[in-house]
Amino acid sequence: MSRAAAIFSGPLGCILPAFLLLAWSGFFLTAEDQTSILLSLLSLAGFLLAAVRLGWVNILREAIAVQERLWDACLITIMLALMILFREDHYNLFLLGTIMAYATAVLGLNVQLGYAGVLNFSCASFFGVGGYTAALLLSGTDLPPLLALPLGGAVAALTGCVLLLPVLRTSGHYAALVTMAFALLFRVFLDVSEWFGGPQGIPVAPLTIAGLDFSQGILWGDAEFSFYLKYDLLLLLVLCLAYSITRRLERSWIGLALDAVRSDEVASACFGIHIRRWKITAFTLGNFLSGLAGALYAMMLAYISPANFTFADSLLFLSILLLGGIGNIQGVLVATVLVVIVPEKFQVIQEYRYLIYSALVLLMIVFRPVGLLPRKPRAYTGSPA
Amino acid sequence: MNPLLICTGLTMRFGGLTALDNLYLEAREGEVLGLVGPNGSGKTTLFNVLTGIYRPSAGKITFAGENITSGTPQEIHRRGIARTFQRSRLCLDLSVFDNIMIGNHTALRLDFFHNILRRRAFCRDYELWRDKAAEMLRALNPSLVSRMFRPVGDLSMIDRRRVENSRALVRRPRHPRLHDPSAGMTHDETRQLMDEITASRMGGDRLTVILIEHEMEVIRRSTSHCVVLNFGRKLCEGDYAGVVADPRVQEAYLGKELE
Repeated sequence: MSRAAAIFSGPLGCILPAFLLLAWSGFFLTAEDQTSILLSLLSLAGFLLAAVRLGWVNILREAIAVQERLWDACLITIMLALMILFREDHYNLFLLGTIMAYATAVLGLNVQLGYAGVLNFSCASFFGVGGYTAALLLSGTDLPPLLALPLGGAVAALTGCVLLLPVLRTSGHYAALVTMAFALLFRVFLDVSEWFGGPQGIPVAPLTIAGLDFSQGILWGDAEFSFYLKYDLLLLLVLCLAYSITRRLERSWIGLALDAVRSDEVASACFGIHIRRWKITAFTLGNFLSGLAGALYAMMLAYISPANFTFADSLLFLSILLLGGIGNIQGVLVATVLVVIVPEKFQVIQEYRYLIYSALVLLMIVFRPVGLLPRKPRAYTGSPA
Repeated sequence: MNPLLICTGLTMRFGGLTALDNLYLEAREGEVLGLVGPNGSGKTTLFNVLTGIYRPSAGKITFAGENITSGTPQEIHRRGIARTFQRSRLCLDLSVFDNIMIGNHTALRLDFFHNILRRRAFCRDYELWRDKAAEMLRALNPSLVSRMFRPVGDLSMIDRRRVENSRALVRRPRHPRLHDPSAGMTHDETRQLMDEITASRMGGDRLTVILIEHEMEVIRRSTSHCVVLNFGRKLCEGDYAGVVADPRVQEAYLGKELE
């Protein structure tokens, strides 16, 4: 091992990249004109290409693998630092919140497709079920508002049971068709349903926890921080929880059983693995996470309509998973940031975003089907053996 | 010796094709039964019926005195029957250890509480199995131990077969079935592998093994009893020398001499 590599396998190997990441994202998010945005994007792409060529990515992945806690702390610090940096900036805080809500939903999708191999083209619908559940619970009942979060997840998981029978009885293309049909039906159902506000949608009452109103800004001396800050903090908490659960799930016998079901159902059955049981587990847990994320996202939006949860959004979630590397939760984080932030900031492509996603997904499938960060073999205790 | 496994009148039809035709078969406790026959004679179908992948059209299978005819693969595995596959069905993107632990699935603790929340207890549990798997692999090929967390897809054919056999044997089944353990390997490798399997048989447990193998030398060395299938029916049975000398067997493999 060279001297540089030895240095970067220590704490510095986590802290320096984290610092660079923070500096770049701070610059990128504050950049206003399109040329500097384009320049910073190009510089990032160039830097990443160089990093791959010079093997820095592998050094980083190894450094992360041996000092996982430190890296987790670095990531949380980056998010907190960005929140503090943009404390009065509604727009950027909203972007950060969107990233975290989407990442949580895609973590759910990852449990389904990445681990158990259950295709789900209706992830955004379950995200929406969570959102509408929160909307109805907050305006129509006296339940403690915080309960709307787990209930949003639970209702999404229950709604998923409608799909269980067709999902278990079909596989491959057919399962994809079934879930696509569900996504389209869900949209139509919302459009025609008076109770859910029809195509105009419904307002979502703000979250209040112990008298703390999430729709009010935070007063700090003379300054008033954006109310999105509160949602972002809660979303960060939810994302950390979801991330930790998915990671522990992967590094357990349950994760192994899910992988076995995905890779060979017949062989798995011959070793006593109950295929249906694990598919149901993965599908339900995934929908729960999507619904949970959707509930919180809806509260942050304050107003939701069927247009927020279309089939195109489901495809967006899927493309995040494909881009990041199916089954790798670190890849999910990276890909969510890219897919959410780039079209938002880079307005020129805003109109063509779906075109660009499709091209991107096609290119990925042709040239790098494993995604940006392909999954590594399971390490049960975290550090590689 | 008592028969551990008895099939009576076993019939499997796929549409108009009868893959198994009124077959009677018994495997006695502790023996290695060789199953031979030309291509398409029903050996693989028999394995699939015995392990619950296919449900037989007619007939009965008794294992250790119990009727297992219409059991699911999971139920049959729970009774102590494990198998390997003709075209080794390992999960190539999973690690060697993962693949062995798939064979160990029914011994693992699978509740959420243990796996997600009590990580410290889980890690102790994991280390126990890791050492056990390492011990198994060391007996087969010491170099596999250091590659325990590499994807199986990186391994050579013989090592894959070793992993697959370990996967079938890790739960200490009473009755493993091996399907073509030599496929894709050289003669020397095959001999080595069969020695390993026989060694694991001698190690205390008296395993009852059904072996499908196209390599006659392997059959000669490893089996105590042979059954020859042809067109889903039993052509003859007996010891190796008797079976190969049987003109019906020679005819099934080589065809009839032109008159």
